[in-house]
Amino acid sequence: MTNSAIATDNLSKSYGSTLALDALSLEVAAGEVFGLLGHNGAGKTTTVNVLTTLLEPTYGNAEVAGHSVTADAMGVRRSIGYLPENVQFYDNLTLMENLRFFAELSGLRRPDQRIRDVLRILDFEGRDRQRLGTFSKGMRQRVGIAQAILHAPSVLFLDEPTSGLDPEGVRTLRETIVRLNSEFGMTIFMNTHLLSEVTKTCTSIGILRGGTLVHHNTLAKTLADFPGEDSLEEIYFQLESERVS
Amino acid sequence: MNTFLVSARHEMLNTRRARTAHILLIVFIGMVIASSVIGWVTNQTVTGVYNKVVADGLTTAPNPFAGVSPLYYARNAVIYVLLIGSLMAIVLGVQATVRDRKASTVDLVLSRPVATPARLLGQLAGLAVVLAAVIGISFSVSWLIFSIINGAPLGWGDTGRVIAFGLLSWVLLTSFALLGMLTGLRSKQQTTALLVPFVIWSAVAFVLPQIGTAARPVSLLNPVPALASTGGYFDVVSAFTGPLSLTEQFKRASSIILQDPNVTGEATSSILILLAFLVIMTVVVVVTPRNRMRSGLNE
Repeated sequence: MTNSAIATDNLSKSYGSTLALDALSLEVAAGEVFGLLGHNGAGKTTTVNVLTTLLEPTYGNAEVAGHSVTADAMGVRRSIGYLPENVQFYDNLTLMENLRFFAELSGLRRPDQRIRDVLRILDFEGRDRQRLGTFSKGMRQRVGIAQAILHAPSVLFLDEPTSGLDPEGVRTLRETIVRLNSEFGMTIFMNTHLLSEVTKTCTSIGILRGGTLVHHNTLAKTLADFPGEDSLEEIYFQLESERVS
Repeated sequence: MNTFLVSARHEMLNTRRARTAHILLIVFIGMVIASSVIGWVTNQTVTGVYNKVVADGLTTAPNPFAGVSPLYYARNAVIYVLLIGSLMAIVLGVQATVRDRKASTVDLVLSRPVATPARLLGQLAGLAVVLAAVIGISFSVSWLIFSIINGAPLGWGDTGRVIAFGLLSWVLLTSFALLGMLTGLRSKQQTTALLVPFVIWSAVAFVLPQIGTAARPVSLLNPVPALASTGGYFDVVSAFTGPLSLTEQFKRASSIILQDPNVTGEATSSILILLAFLVIMTVVVVVTPRNRMRSGLNE
């Protein structure tokens, strides 16, 4: 293992007889925005679940922010923020009550000022007394980002962060991700289907197919390696077809 | 603030905001008032008839209510606690654990530095405080009503008995809340999470006492415990089912605490059985693995 923000070594996960993740070895350097691509069922969410310690690997190991997911799960949890796909909250509680709960679970004492700071970063002021049940999908996603960065994690995991968002919501979220990376130096690990967003936000990419990592490189190098292709989408499908054939 | 305290406070807030605690409190105060009023009306009616009979010179026997303890008026509350209170406690427990699974907020919780036993114990503590508050308020109302009926504040002895009855009710209700938490964690559907503890509760309240004592179902709705077994088969069966008949144990201990003249003996063994149930349920809930807490609901 190295000093990378994320490093996996032969990481595998099986559900019964189904191998969801097959010997994944991957490194993401600190300060990168990494996009993990792949079809549905490729193993992207399983990868994030293992790296966030929500699932235990069947075999292999991974280190996140220098902590082993198997030997020091608490250390990993202290260092990460996590936004699951289709994030939900306690709809009966207000925005402030929801965020205060997650902030205190993360170990923050008297977190109200920090919550207000984060809401300011996300241009989300003046809504802290509104109940979450009244929020739109796009607003919930931004609350999801807020709860994930309250404790200033060094690594942020985003699982399909643009899922279900309208174009305006996608753009706002993209700007937020770029800002978190550039201004606060967070390493971001993102699962996504939206290849156009990957081009605009990620510095490196990986492609998973059937639980196996079939491509991993910086975005710039990936684009340079395929000079004849117009877009990342074309490259993605070409890489997919090469592996199939 | 640590996970335990954060979870306890969060559980109290959620229960309060969902208005479940308010409903529970209203129902409990209603039950306590109904119990006291029924007892008081009975007393007044019987005493009225008695006075008329005495005035007509038809009896010289003493008034049957003359030596009755003021706590007599609380005897119906015993049955309300175990019939209505237990079911509401189950609903609170199911809500506590199903909430996170239903909305998948459990992943936001478990991706933080949270130990699952501390999280579950915190949720339990939150529920226990809610139940204690509901019982505390309703039994204070109860104490006030008894004092009004009695014409003077209850003495220390009777006040202590009201408090002991409140504590015993809290033990029973917290145990059933734990049963709800357990099925909320283990069931694959929300409907099953509610249905299973209701079935277990009805088995404990009705089936077990019946097969151990041959009591009639209607007699199990009385605040006094079912009659002891009458020998033979029932002796053998009741040796096994007796300790598991938690509601009968509760009725027995409560009746002794409230000085019901129909029940005699020591309440210690019944209280110990109820406490053992509380401890066992706590352990069973707290050891729930993380994967189980994360499992989604099939609906």
